[in-house]
Amino acid sequence: MNKDKNPNTQLVGVDVYIITKDGIPCFDYYGAFKCEFISNRGTKVWPGFVSPDLLLVDWYRCRFTVTGDIEDEDVDAFLAKLSEKWLWSGVQKLWRYDGEPGYSKPY
Amino acid sequence: MAKYTITLIPGEGTGPEILKAVERVVNAADVGIEWDYQDIGMECLDKYGTLLPEKTIESIAKNKIAIKGPTTTPIGGGHKSANVTLRKVFDLYANVRPAMSIPAIKRPWNNINILSFRENTEDSYAAIEHMVSTEVAQCLKIITWPGSLRIAEFAFKWAKAHGRKRMTCVHKANIMKMTDGLFLNAFREVAKKYPEMESDDIIVDNCTMQLVRDPSRFDCLVLPNLYGDIVTDLLAGMVGGLGFAPGANIGDNCAIFEAVHGSAPKYAGQNKVNPSAVLNSAIMMLKWIGEEAAAIKIDRAMQEVLAEGKHVTYDVGGTAGTDEYASAIIEKMETIIKESGEGI
Repeated sequence: MNKDKNPNTQLVGVDVYIITKDGIPCFDYYGAFKCEFISNRGTKVWPGFVSPDLLLVDWYRCRFTVTGDIEDEDVDAFLAKLSEKWLWSGVQKLWRYDGEPGYSKPY
Repeated sequence: MAKYTITLIPGEGTGPEILKAVERVVNAADVGIEWDYQDIGMECLDKYGTLLPEKTIESIAKNKIAIKGPTTTPIGGGHKSANVTLRKVFDLYANVRPAMSIPAIKRPWNNINILSFRENTEDSYAAIEHMVSTEVAQCLKIITWPGSLRIAEFAFKWAKAHGRKRMTCVHKANIMKMTDGLFLNAFREVAKKYPEMESDDIIVDNCTMQLVRDPSRFDCLVLPNLYGDIVTDLLAGMVGGLGFAPGANIGDNCAIFEAVHGSAPKYAGQNKVNPSAVLNSAIMMLKWIGEEAAAIKIDRAMQEVLAEGKHVTYDVGGTAGTDEYASAIIEKMETIIKESGEGI
């Protein structure tokens, strides 16, 4: 990202940090917001291979992304619905800057 | 029939020539290892579409033990580290790195014998990073209570089994009171279960200063991931450089032994680099599987070759290539066996 100019900023989703002691979360349908991955302590636990030895704690990073344009109101509505079932400790909006992701992937 | 099947991952850059040399030396110790060769790294991207192919993961999962050459990780962008991915996938939470002075390598310190236990899966290595504005990047440092308890437990258990006397927890809990405070509190909790061992703690910046002033005051260190990365490289430099520094990544059901140095691509294919780091890792691996005699035999032969200085690599003042150094160690092992009459 070129910090000397204002890049084109696009909101593409959110990382939601969910607290649960009931194992890897399984999400309902949330319209345009699709769960892309879930990680625990930085290691991807959904989808794909998970070592049976993996230490899981009660805090999951859940990435929800949207194809197409979204506004803050869409995020607010999504979080309101998510809150009906899940306890979350924080949310981080995901932006692309000039098309480049401003967020990391899990291991 | 082979007694052991071990996954061998040559790695990238100088990795393949190093692992070839190490394989020759370990085979000469005759412990009955069948090597299961697997790939990792950039070449796999073209071949399998991933840095860490499924078949490599399956091999390690099946064999439970692997030895691995270095891999290349781009700085600042590009793909994630294959090394860190392996540690995460198999939850290899304990990185064990011994640092012992090598008599043949002259350094300002000749009295170092420190065992470090680096937490290997948490901290700022959790890969949770965001550009939160156009001017601000953030990286979340994750320290968990169960993760901190288990590395402390592992460290005390290993140290006790190896006759160690004192465990020091390295932290920055004066500033990071929540994260490092949690790590320190977990350490103190576990330390209560090992009253026969002395335990104390030190702030990481003071630790680095005290290490170079008087390393003999330390016996074992247990550290969060980032401090462990830095402090163990400092220790490696104090005893002989990364060319000698071994490492073991250990989980509850799996262990991967590897050099801590990089792949040194500029030296690749030149038969030039020192394979001692991976060889030292192989020695740790042999001890891990219970082949103590073979481990001692290789170690003694290597120390004697280093002390003679005739067939050593450029980094320790010699002109020998990787192959010649390995051959000298193998020859020395044969001499030792003949002299002892029974193979040590």
